[in-house]
Amino acid sequence: MCTTKHSVRIWDLPTRVFHWLLVASFILSWLSQGDDRYLDIHVFAGYLFLALLIFRLIWGFVGSNYAKFCNFTCLQIGGYLKTLFTSQRQHFLGHNPAGSWAVFIILGLGLIVALTGLLTLGGEERHGPLAGMISFELGDSLHWWHDSIAWFMLGIIGIHILGVLGESWLHNENLIKSMFTGLKSTTTQSIDIPKHSLTTIFLISSLIVGMASYFNGYLLEANYRPFIGPELPTNPAWQAACEECHLAYHPSLLPARSWQRTFAEQAEHFEEDLYLEPDDIAELQTFAINNAAENTLTEVAWKNNRSIPPEQSPLRITEVDYWVTKHQDIASAIWQLPEVNFKGNCKACHLDAEQGTFEDSAMYLPE
Amino acid sequence: MRIKLTIVLSLILSSSLYASVVDELLTEYRATGVETFSAKAGKALWSQEFINAKTGKIRQCTTCHTADLRNEGKHIRTGKIIKPLAPITNPERLTNLKKTRKWFKRNCKWTLGRECNAQEKGDLLLFMQNFNGE
Repeated sequence: MCTTKHSVRIWDLPTRVFHWLLVASFILSWLSQGDDRYLDIHVFAGYLFLALLIFRLIWGFVGSNYAKFCNFTCLQIGGYLKTLFTSQRQHFLGHNPAGSWAVFIILGLGLIVALTGLLTLGGEERHGPLAGMISFELGDSLHWWHDSIAWFMLGIIGIHILGVLGESWLHNENLIKSMFTGLKSTTTQSIDIPKHSLTTIFLISSLIVGMASYFNGYLLEANYRPFIGPELPTNPAWQAACEECHLAYHPSLLPARSWQRTFAEQAEHFEEDLYLEPDDIAELQTFAINNAAENTLTEVAWKNNRSIPPEQSPLRITEVDYWVTKHQDIASAIWQLPEVNFKGNCKACHLDAEQGTFEDSAMYLPE
Repeated sequence: MRIKLTIVLSLILSSSLYASVVDELLTEYRATGVETFSAKAGKALWSQEFINAKTGKIRQCTTCHTADLRNEGKHIRTGKIIKPLAPITNPERLTNLKKTRKWFKRNCKWTLGRECNAQEKGDLLLFMQNFNGE
């Protein structure tokens, strides 16, 4: 009367570890996006995500029976969906047709998201393996695609989760638990699936080595800066002249016309008469114009320049639209701290203000 | 022995240099017709209040440099630390002719709204040079 159900291993260990690490890296990249201070964590999550996808692509050819792409049931989707809500509904031990599609779509979208992420990192931030290989403009538009496809992918993941819950309910089995234990309970005989412990050890140890090499700066260095920008041109006269009263703001922060105006109005430089000699002006102005924002030496240079209307030549960096947008969420209590003192005191929060690179991860808010 | 001699010589040399900048400037100011300079008048000018025409706010030398020249000052606007002005705590002060001229120009203009005259600059020089807390 009673057919004996027994537990069989369907998902090998590497497939399960892959699945949950992919979930973890997706959540981590979602949590670390949007706030530039956590860009290095976001980038790490992205590398992990990409590495996992590549692993899964390989595993789809060399893994165990149910992990192999050739055993996916994509083509049976029609019959599967037609009978889904009838008593004739089909049960699959491995990936059902909807799940098979989910794997391929998520792999494909994931690769696109990872690739556009790498391109954004290389174009907009000038970091990563593609640093500086594409323009700021292209990096910026790929950033939009990176965001949009990630949202689309989130939608697909939502459908995937609903499918898993629906299938679990229809067949009265716990598919989420199976993805942890690897086991499914069945009456039919199944192929014996090996555990693949060695591959799992390889996966986990790669993760540990990867994390250690990526994050070791936090443990080994005080004031660690995850991204160190390109070394920008410096000029001793510029340094000396500006630092008499304030930080030597790098000329890349304002367009050439702003610097021309600064020197034209040097007798009323923020209520001070600079009394610069013509020789000094010539040297300082040449340095400023040669490295002004139009030369897009950094992301900030490019974005500052883009946000200033052509008919304006602001003297204050803190009046530039991009600056204002980037700083609008900072509480007034922070601006009033004695160590901050005034808005032009960039180095109160930016560790690389003196270098002029203003890297995303080189900033912190004072307590 | 030789090192000691070098140190002594360089000390003499640097102190004479330091004296010479003030002397040179005072000679220059005398040439414009000023006869005597007074540290006391310099002290009075140091804390005199000037109302800025544009902002309506009071400006004094002490706004940035504080009343005690042996201490560090602070740029009123940017908060940049300004090294002490008194040679007694900062021997580098008043040893560079170009710098001394430049800062007299810039800071008189900011504080008084005009450049200082020879009398005022001479008085201030003596006041700074001899400042020891009083």
